[in-house]
Amino acid sequence: MQKIGIFLGCNIPFNRPDIEYSMRFLLKELGVEIVELEGATCCPAYGTMPSLGLLEWAVASAWNLSIAEEKGVDMLTGCGSCYGVQNEANYYLKKHPEIKEQVDKILAKVGRKYDGTVKVWNVINFIYEKIGLDTLKQKIKYNLNGLKCAVQTGCHNLWPSKAFPSGEDNTFFPKRLREICEIMGGVAPHYSTITDCCGMGALRSNAPEKSLALFKKKLDVIKEELDPDLAVIGCSSCLLQFDAGQALLIEQKKLNYKIPALHLAQLTAIALGAEVEKATAMASIPLNGVITKIKGGN
Amino acid sequence: MEEGGVNVIDLTQGDESFVKELIALGADELRECIQCGKCGATCPMALAGLEFFIKRIVHAANLGLRDILLEDSSVWGCQSCNRCVEICPMDIKPYEVIQAVRRAAVKVEACPANTYEGLRNLYRFGHAVFPKGFEERRKKVGLPEKPPTALSFDEFRKKYQELLRQTILEEIAPFPLD
Ligand code: SF4
Ligand code: SF4
Repeated sequence: MQKIGIFLGCNIPFNRPDIEYSMRFLLKELGVEIVELEGATCCPAYGTMPSLGLLEWAVASAWNLSIAEEKGVDMLTGCGSCYGVQNEANYYLKKHPEIKEQVDKILAKVGRKYDGTVKVWNVINFIYEKIGLDTLKQKIKYNLNGLKCAVQTGCHNLWPSKAFPSGEDNTFFPKRLREICEIMGGVAPHYSTITDCCGMGALRSNAPEKSLALFKKKLDVIKEELDPDLAVIGCSSCLLQFDAGQALLIEQKKLNYKIPALHLAQLTAIALGAEVEKATAMASIPLNGVITKIKGGN
Repeated sequence: MEEGGVNVIDLTQGDESFVKELIALGADELRECIQCGKCGATCPMALAGLEFFIKRIVHAANLGLRDILLEDSSVWGCQSCNRCVEICPMDIKPYEVIQAVRRAAVKVEACPANTYEGLRNLYRFGHAVFPKGFEERRKKVGLPEKPPTALSFDEFRKKYQELLRQTILEEIAPFPLD
């Protein structure tokens, strides 16, 4: 049986535990043993330790990586930042022996060690490579019935590609998330702003209006080019923008349409038969039409 | 930043020691920049309308314009998306220039207040993002009130705090590390 360490991060367990529920559900349904990473922390977010120093970044990520290594597992995360931060830390640890040496000393002081063996996966790459599209197709209980999906892979799931264990052939023309939606019975066309940033993250914290305006530009293109039933998102931070951020734009009367949004983990869990109320518990934009379509209506 | 405040660059303000400081803080390829502008063409900060986006930041960093870089808050709006790193033909890793500026800024407390909030949460709870009301949200989806992270294990949290105290956080944190 395949095993994986579930790395939760912050936004998923605290803001969107419906994604955590969904990740746990889909792993179970796909026959993957979940290993809890007891004592894991924030990845740490780009604006925290990585903004203090390279050693600071590397040692704080090494804490988490060492917990997975001790248990003999790789990590799976649903958050783009957790994916980017920890993969980059892994990369720096390999590239900078002088930093690795300092990291080792600090880890030793707190009774830990890290040999650099852990790979960090996101949900897209995990499904694509570790589960496989054919297996996923066989296991789903509900076909997406031609649901039109606009996919958002998320910046941190794409770049810097050289730090990642797995990924797209062309990161500026991502296909994996589209293929996953399509193998489940959806339709997921390319669109012109497919790799554009959603504006969540530091921009949202430090320049909220500019962040939401950037997001609206992207949404407008999605609406015009695809007019999708659903946005399918590969990163929990992007999902916060696509869902709660979109609700905020509507509340501010800056948007006069709605595009429901789900994290890939949520959509896959629903297709595998998860309890919809739990898998979508924190959604702001109503998903009724989407669920009806998946469950066999028109 | 005042509107338009960075339009005029006074070259006499250049400080070579600041360039060296940034290089030491991780911007190690800074000097190789050819100002081709590719990073700026792909940068969400530029697309969002932040005036001081990545190409200009790399330029100012190369000129050692310490005051401009530390007074302007644009570096804190960087999305860490790494498009610039992916695309730079000179392998400058422009994002590392952003981080180097942030690292220099933090040393002189020239960072937005929310930076400290994230660090304080990280130190206290093991989580930089720590919103209220999560227990209810977790219960609603049938999960235990607390996730099995350092939040649930005092022993781990104390060790993690000990680890954080071995870093520069010990020197710069404007909150008690106890
Ligand atoms: S892409 Fe690289 S070389 Fe070109 S301006 Fe940006 S940092 Fe300089
Ligand atoms: S990492 Fe920052 S500077 Fe580089 S492209 Fe992204 S937002 Fe711009």
